[in-house]
Amino acid sequence: MKKLLALIFTIAMAGLLLSACGGSDDPAPAAGGDAVAQANELTVWSWDPAFNMFAMDVAAEIFARSNPGFVLNNVEMPWDDIDRLITTIGISGEYHLLPDIMLIQDQAIEVNVLMFPNLFTDLTGSGINFAEFAPGKTDFSVVGGRNFAVPFDNGVTITAYRVDLLAEAGLTVDDFTDITWDQAIALGRQVLEVTGMPLFSTYGVGASFMDVMVKSAGTSLFDANGQPNFVNNPAFREAVDRFIEMVDAGVMLLPGDWSDYIGTLAAHDVVGTLAGCWILGTIQDVGPEGVWAVTNIPRLNIPGGTNYSSWGGSSWVVSSNANVDLAVRFLNYTFAGSTELFDIILPAAGALSTWAPAAASTIYQEPQPFFGGQTVFADIIGFAQNIPDFVGGIHHYTAMDQIDIALGNIINLGMSIEDALAEAETAVRFEMGH
Amino acid sequence: MYVFLSIAAALSLFPLVWTLISATNSNADILRGTMLPGTHLVQNFIRLTELTDIGRAFWNSTRNAVVATFISIVICSLAGYGFEIYHSKAKDRLMSILLLSMMIPFAAVMIPLFQLTANMNLLNTTIGFMLPTLSTAFLIMLFRQNTRSFPLEMIEAARIDGLNELSIFLRIYVPTMKSTYAAAITITFMATWNVFLWPRIIMISPDSITMPLLISNLMAGYVADFGVIMLAVTIATLPPILLFFFLQRYFAEGMTGTIK
Repeated sequence: MKKLLALIFTIAMAGLLLSACGGSDDPAPAAGGDAVAQANELTVWSWDPAFNMFAMDVAAEIFARSNPGFVLNNVEMPWDDIDRLITTIGISGEYHLLPDIMLIQDQAIEVNVLMFPNLFTDLTGSGINFAEFAPGKTDFSVVGGRNFAVPFDNGVTITAYRVDLLAEAGLTVDDFTDITWDQAIALGRQVLEVTGMPLFSTYGVGASFMDVMVKSAGTSLFDANGQPNFVNNPAFREAVDRFIEMVDAGVMLLPGDWSDYIGTLAAHDVVGTLAGCWILGTIQDVGPEGVWAVTNIPRLNIPGGTNYSSWGGSSWVVSSNANVDLAVRFLNYTFAGSTELFDIILPAAGALSTWAPAAASTIYQEPQPFFGGQTVFADIIGFAQNIPDFVGGIHHYTAMDQIDIALGNIINLGMSIEDALAEAETAVRFEMGH
Repeated sequence: MYVFLSIAAALSLFPLVWTLISATNSNADILRGTMLPGTHLVQNFIRLTELTDIGRAFWNSTRNAVVATFISIVICSLAGYGFEIYHSKAKDRLMSILLLSMMIPFAAVMIPLFQLTANMNLLNTTIGFMLPTLSTAFLIMLFRQNTRSFPLEMIEAARIDGLNELSIFLRIYVPTMKSTYAAAITITFMATWNVFLWPRIIMISPDSITMPLLISNLMAGYVADFGVIMLAVTIATLPPILLFFFLQRYFAEGMTGTIK
């Protein structure tokens, strides 16, 4: 018996060893350079099969109709992993491992262009008409006057409210349209008193919320020299003051991480939410149908304050290892040239475009029964055109981390706002190497 | 004492129980905080197979972990045996240098390792996956320390009986040290099964995906389905748990260097 078991074990191990040593599963599938040999093939890295990858598959089908034999290798890779690989490949110089096209978070474009100048292909003058995209979106991908990405999903910030709950407080969604944050907080108190429910919830401690509020006034967390500008920044100070006021008043719920935030929507613990318009998919998941309405966001009560902002989304970059001609033709034909593409992915995945011609489509103009017949998508496209220009910053994520810490210190430890912001600014400068 | 241990055991087991329960619930139920088993196990499994190639990921993880564990155990046990049985001052110094390598975080060697693996055309391969784990200072140290309890008289007796050095290792040392081997197998298998960072940067092809990468992919969407994710986590947890249950009798003895 023992000999039989030993024999089985030996055969199994030999089989596994042979299979392990028998060559690679796919020696270099990610390398766009290899695609040059296969002139009609592109490899793409992106995440979320239900959203980004779905959109890419639809784009490939549309492109293949006029380019017979076109093949798209749609590789799933979470953003954190794309980010890690970009850094690894950038530092090691192994650019031949890059795919033809990658999806990249808007806030990460500038920092990677500056850190690794040979990573992406400059798309300026490639024939893609960037003027047709919303300026609030292309601001992320223009570095030094050069365009490095084709914008994809719309990061327009919206507020969505439960109109049935607002009605209990004698309010309508119109009361929340084109208002200031002071007015929003007053209305939030009114709703809280009647329904016992906070107006909003958000994830983390609110850094993303701060970022959106500051951008809505066309300003930034960084000054024109790229230095953190927390302490002497009226827009940021106003945003922090209003945010803390909301938390103190019980108008803003801070449940924890992303899934906890989604949980507040699923459990119907809040009257509304403020987020990028991609939140519409979640809202439609949690329901109920017919009681949600969408409007613009409150504005900061300072000169230049507007009711429009961008939460950020993602864009397509062409790598330096790409079959550039094919990749540019593909993107130009689809994400920068096909209303059919956006007509398919909008109802199927809730993917809104920042490409202006897409907004002319009849699908965008259709009333949405889930939102009580509101033409939600046309409204959001309208918001997108009003987002003020803003200055980005290559240390965006560093700033976000430190702002979360500062807000945590203010809310949980009772630290003064002045001290917390000064500490955060110093910490960001330190991390930037100053 | 039993009350305290019971509370500690309940706290330790809670995440696992919650994972199992969540695997049977819908995403909406989980977000509502349901703590009772649901009826969505089959739906979650169907969705999981629709969204991912879990069969391939499971096979890749199994193959990578088994092969890496087997080779690693062979190399490290030979090294640990050699360092102790044939020890000299020079070898002791070499062992000290090896132990120092435990202090270097993986992130510090990741980029050069990536360059090396890419230049050797070993990306997306099991060999590339396991190269950094084949010889670890910890395992060599484990075998070396436990070999100190091994009675040298047995080796001398075997030599007198005419056994060569390899036969002594295979026919006397290995069977005697089975507890140490069990501990080493458990540790190495769990480490290679769960490893994330290294395969994430070298297993670029979808055909090379492993279970931790698959779970990471599932969590990357704008709308996460936690029922599906928890089912994937449950499936990914089973092999290490089964291995541990199978070898747990020897595990504690192996870790403490007991020889029977």
